[in-house]
Amino acid sequence: MAVTDVIEIDELYKAYGELPVLQGLNLRVAAGEVFGLLGPNGSGKSTLIHLMLGFLRPNRGRVRLFGDSNLERARPRIGYIPERQRYHTRYTAREYLRFLGAFSGLRGAELHERVERELATVGLHEAADRSLGTFSKGMLQRLGVAQALLADPDLLLIDEPTSGLDPAGQREVIELLAAVRDRGHTVFLCTHYLQEVELLCDRVGVLAGGKIVIEATVADLRNVAGSVRIRVDRLSPEVRRRLELLAVAVSSEPQGVRINPNSAALQAAVLRTLLDAEVSILALEPLESPLEQLYRQAVYGAQRPQPEASPAPTRRPAHPDGWPVPLQSPSAPPPPPRRPGEGDTLLNELLGRSGDEDASGARQEVD
Amino acid sequence: MRLLRFIGFTLLEYLRSGRVAIEIIAVLVTYAIFLRRPMDAEYFFSVTGVFTPVLTLYTMASLIGLGDRPQGYLLLARGLGRAAYLLGLFAAACTIVAGSYGLLCLIVAALNRPFDLDLAGWVLGTMPLLLNIGLLAALMLMLSPLVLPTNWRLFVLGLIALAFSSNFIGGTVLEALPETVRALLRALQALLGGPLVPAFYGFQLAVTRDYSTPTAIANLLAQASLLVSLLGLAVYAFSRRDLIFSTQ
Repeated sequence: MAVTDVIEIDELYKAYGELPVLQGLNLRVAAGEVFGLLGPNGSGKSTLIHLMLGFLRPNRGRVRLFGDSNLERARPRIGYIPERQRYHTRYTAREYLRFLGAFSGLRGAELHERVERELATVGLHEAADRSLGTFSKGMLQRLGVAQALLADPDLLLIDEPTSGLDPAGQREVIELLAAVRDRGHTVFLCTHYLQEVELLCDRVGVLAGGKIVIEATVADLRNVAGSVRIRVDRLSPEVRRRLELLAVAVSSEPQGVRINPNSAALQAAVLRTLLDAEVSILALEPLESPLEQLYRQAVYGAQRPQPEASPAPTRRPAHPDGWPVPLQSPSAPPPPPRRPGEGDTLLNELLGRSGDEDASGARQEVD
Repeated sequence: MRLLRFIGFTLLEYLRSGRVAIEIIAVLVTYAIFLRRPMDAEYFFSVTGVFTPVLTLYTMASLIGLGDRPQGYLLLARGLGRAAYLLGLFAAACTIVAGSYGLLCLIVAALNRPFDLDLAGWVLGTMPLLLNIGLLAALMLMLSPLVLPTNWRLFVLGLIALAFSSNFIGGTVLEALPETVRALLRALQALLGGPLVPAFYGFQLAVTRDYSTPTAIANLLAQASLLVSLLGLAVYAFSRRDLIFSTQ
């Protein structure tokens, strides 16, 4: 059966005055898919969402939603979650949702039932009669999810859902979006938090230089990390010697093995050696998120050998060793130093990773 | 229906924001300063004919401020169209100003009624006055950053300045200009001043309530037509432009 594309964008150009933002962007998002768009601040993520909502008009190119280039017609099927604090705060949550539901064409008992259902979904039932002005940022963003779901949309456009939230707020929103994802909506999520994409999305694209320069499925990215540490109970000198004979990429210590750079074959060989030697394996930990590497590769240029780029189909297979194929390398400045920051502990925890490693513990927000 | 709901939504927000206190205070101050003395209907409408446009300037500016915020994206992402959004702001402003005028009239009727003003006279004076409120609100809306980009706003303001220029370019200044420039200026003043006539005559009509000639009815129609034209232009411009709300 043919896959229906909910979002079809072809050769999209948008400039603000003389400042080009999108320069020939192509994208397809299939029905039921959760697509994450990564990109630095100012790369045009919100512009793209606003183009899809018809707030902005492209200089060139085409946006089609549900097969229709008349975006006004598509709007009733769209739920939009803006960045935080974009709400009218002089209403109670219930009043606000009732107004927004009415603007979406809901009436009477159906409106009432939907409002109560979504308040319960986002856990705001207890606070439903409180003024939005008294809500925390996390509560406001949960309200944003509720209003987007009110009209039971087919497509959710989500703009930076956890931006500016504290770790608890991030947890709330990510857990909520994970639950929403299970409803089967098509989701287009813009963010600059890499791990948000890993947690929520089926497919990821990186926006840089006005185009989506790399696309990959999150499943592919999970296959093989660029470098890993295998934590074990204890390694005898004999086993360590056998491991290090496998490849120069393998190094060992009494309670662990590092593989850097990693590959599926080498990782399998190391694990086989450990199992043959009856070593207890405690954990296999990526030292650097494959998604982070993908992002760095896309935005700041390749940092490891890449297959030759070819002209731009919108969907590309992953490279055989698990690395996605770049669509086009942008010219870009060298990478800035990585900074520690908020949110990493929580996101690592949600990913089931320990936060004590150098690379994996670093903040994976990209600015 | 959605337009009506949006007007209700906007009015409720305006009330809860406390901004409406300014209108209430303005009504009370206007009554206390200008309308407590013994007066006739002509005096009453002269005062309210100035009071309502001034109040419209404040109220429409406040409503434009409320509309020109990123919160608007959330409303426009739903079934509420751009036209309904803009017309909703306009209608909310007119409702507030008309409500304030109504309040002022009630106070005057209760405490110091003009000796020669009956209900029919009040209706005849109020019609052109309300149309003028609408005209000014529509003009402000069209000239707001929400609707027109800066270069177009300057262009329209330039045209309005030209229309009024006969008030400050005259006498020796005008005589000093070359004949062709004078002729061109006069033509432009006549052409651009035309749309202003219904507004000024509307004020006069409110004060005199003289509907004895067909001109009065024609002027009401002209006011209404101008109002529809301005709103149509505003809606058209708003529907065509990139929607980038102020983030201030």
